[in-house]
This record gives sequence, C-alpha cells and structure tokens, in this order.
Amino acid sequence: MPGIDECLVEAMRLPGALGAAVVDWTSGLALGTVGDAPGGDHETTAAEAAELARLAAEHRAFAPEEGSDWSGADLPVEDLIVSNRDTYHVLRFVRTTFDSSVFLHLWLARSDGNLALARIRLGEMAGRLVLA
Amino acid sequence: MSVITTSAPPLPVRGEHTRHAVSPMLHRLAAERATGVLLRESGSLYLSDGEVVHAESPRSPGLDVLLSAGGVLDTDGWREAVDTAGAGLRVGRFLVDSGRVTKGALELCHAGAMFDAAYFVLGPSSAPARFRYGAAHWLGPIRPVPVATITREALRRRDLLHRIWPDAAADDAPLMRAVGLSSPPVPIRQGAVLDQINGFRTAADISLTLGRPTFHTLVAVRRLAAAGLISPAPPHPPRTPPAPDTTPGRTAPAPDTPQGPSAPTRATVPYATPYAAPHPGSYGAPDGPAGGSPAGTATAPGTLPPEPADVPGSTPPHPVPVPAPPWPLVTADPDIALLQRLRDALEAL
Repeated sequence: MPGIDECLVEAMRLPGALGAAVVDWTSGLALGTVGDAPGGDHETTAAEAAELARLAAEHRAFAPEEGSDWSGADLPVEDLIVSNRDTYHVLRFVRTTFDSSVFLHLWLARSDGNLALARIRLGEMAGRLVLA
Repeated sequence: MSVITTSAPPLPVRGEHTRHAVSPMLHRLAAERATGVLLRESGSLYLSDGEVVHAESPRSPGLDVLLSAGGVLDTDGWREAVDTAGAGLRVGRFLVDSGRVTKGALELCHAGAMFDAAYFVLGPSSAPARFRYGAAHWLGPIRPVPVATITREALRRRDLLHRIWPDAAADDAPLMRAVGLSSPPVPIRQGAVLDQINGFRTAADISLTLGRPTFHTLVAVRRLAAAGLISPAPPHPPRTPPAPDTTPGRTAPAPDTPQGPSAPTRATVPYATPYAAPHPGSYGAPDGPAGGSPAGTATAPGTLPPEPADVPGSTPPHPVPVPAPPWPLVTADPDIALLQRLRDALEAL
C-alpha cells in the first residue's frame, strides 16, 4: 500500500522523470518531493504549480460540460499539462474522500519522456495513493 | 527605587527576529533531537527525535474531524481505534493496518491537519512556551517533518494570507455576509465557506463544520473579504447578561455572549481549557479571545496539564474590554517591560 514517498518513488521510475511532488494547492505546500525541481527549488515550484492548479480547479470554464453539477465531490479537472521547449509538467489532481486540495506534480524531460504514458500512470498513482 | 546608570545589556527578545525564528525554543529542541510536547498559548506541537510528528490547536479541526466529515471513518471506528491502539501510542498504524484508512490517505490528511494546527501553534503569542520532555501523542508518528519545514511553512502561510488580503480581522471574528449584494458566482470551495457564514460563525467554526483545515478556510475567507462579500461582524456589546440556554449545539454560536452551559465552566474553572482563556494580543486580532473560544472548548486536549501563564501579560478570565494591544505587546510600564524581556530571554535560551 503506497504512502506519499512510495508514490513519488514510483513516479520517478517513469521514463524521463526529473522530479515529482505531492502538493496542496490551497496553501502551496509541498507535502513530499523527490528528484529535481525547476531552478532546484521544490518549494517555489510547488507554490507556483499550486497557483496554476487552483486557477484550473476553480474556473468553471474548465469543468466538464455534461453531467456535472459542479458541486459534488468530483474534481472539476483531472489533470493539467504544460509543455515547454525541453520539459513537460503533468499535474494530476488527487481525489480524496476527505476535504483536501492535493495534486501530483511530475516534471519530465521532453527528450526521453512519454507524455501519454506519464499521464496514464500518474492517474493510476493518484488513485492508489488514496484508495486501497 | 534604585538608579540604573548603565543601560541593560541587550537580551534576546521576540520582535523583529521572529520573522526568521518563529520559536527559538523550538529550534533549540530540534537541535538536541528532543522528544516531547511544546505547549504554547494556541496549541501544542509534538516532537520525536527533534522532528515534528503531530500538532494540535483548538482553532484547527483534528484528524478525527477531517476523516469523519468525509465519511472515511465514523465516530465509532475512531473510538475503537483509539481504544485498541491508543495505549500503545500507535493509533495511526492501527488505522492503516486494520484497513480503515489507506496509508496515503492517512499521510495526506494528517499532514494537512498537522501543518494547519502548527500554523496556529506557531502564531504570535504573548505567553511563554513550555516543553514537556518525553510526552508522546497517542496517534504515533505518521510522517515526521523537520522543525525548519514547519516553521518556514508557518511564516509562508502568514505571508500568503497577507498577500490575499492584508486585514487579519476576519480570521478570528464572527463573519457576516455583505448586505445588499447579490453575490457573484464564487469558486466552489469558497462557496462552501460563504454558505456557512451567518453572522455568528468564525472561520474556525466553519472549518469544524466543513471538516476542512482552518487555514484553507482562512484562504477562502480572505479572498471573500477581498472581494467585499464578507466582513467581520461588528463586536458585540462588551458584557451582556448571561442568556438562557436556547441554542444547544456543537459549536457556540455567539462567542462573546456567555452561554448557559459554557459560561459557568469558564468562570469557575478559568483554566480548564488553557488555550481558550481570553488573552489580549492573541494572534494580533482584536477579537482574538472571541474567535478562539468555541473551538477551544470543543477540542482542547484534556490530557495536557493546564497551567496559567503567570506573566503580567496575561489577563484574568473576565477581562475588562480594552482594545487588544499590538503584538509584540508594548507597554510603558517599566516593571512589566522588564518582566517581558526576562520572559522572552528565558524562552530564547
């Protein structure tokens, strides 16, 4: 059964993984980090990624169109992908049964990272982190 | 009256440098890898081998509240876990091993609760801190965090709130909605907070109801205040005669108004709930005592030894309504100033 650290270690096994973190997007706190971070600063990265995640989670424009009353426990957004010239960022929201605002943040090298694979695996990890 | 000709040597005092060191005592305890509990005015912080393993504050919902609000664990399940594993100080492990909560969920929820409580425990305080060596929490270690991380995060959170909306008045006061405004749509997590605001509840009360860390509520409260949608309710008249008990409930709705069941308790046993004792300058908010009381009565750790802070800065249980002094407490009385400096110096040792 994975905890935060096991989940992060697993994320780092993905091809091209440079760093990963579990972040609370309300406070911007990194609850756990592994590997490298842009600029070598996990805390700043967490705070900035949290800001992006918060905007995506709070704005109605990004919520699903159908079948969402936008008020249940369902997350309005599953994940966020940001790409730049040399890296990808994948932010995966974690659905918990208690009130929380947590996401997984994976930083991938573009040269040998596989975005589609990373996105699927990250989704599975987010599920296993909280559910059995 | 003796005459002091040379000025006193500078003593370490809490003041400017607290921007960098939240609690000098805490850093010393971390350095010596201490195990025990740090008792401060607004809660307690448990250390194990110099790392923070747990934090509790009357202002912050505990792990049990967070887990049961989401339906993860009902009261019976929680009680059973505490009964079974509480004596062995390993309730956290028991919850995971017995399959009630997954390890990841427990770690996430506990970290949320711990950083939340630590934010309040490490907030500005005008009473001395104490440390009880050897004390351990019945939850047992879940995911220890270095002291430096906890203190840095407490400061960062203070700055974060300040950047959203610099007025801290709404943090502790009962909150009311702006009148005459049809409220524009707000994000869902802020909306949940907005729906709870009724002119009596404080951010801590709302957090208890929602089963959400209080800092998360404060972020929403500051955003709503910045948007002009809510404001602190105007202070109540200083003293109203005790009202008959008409509103039984889990949380006291009108903190300034003495209630049937709670007022006599506080009057006769003033320090039964140490962190609920009114105190000027607590957390730098004018309604500090009002905000802290209801949650304090609900979740004050009964196992901690209550001890009045025997400092001139503390007040009797029924203070004359005076404007809360700024923090750190500034006084013109030389005797009190000297005592405060001594107290600060002792804590900084």
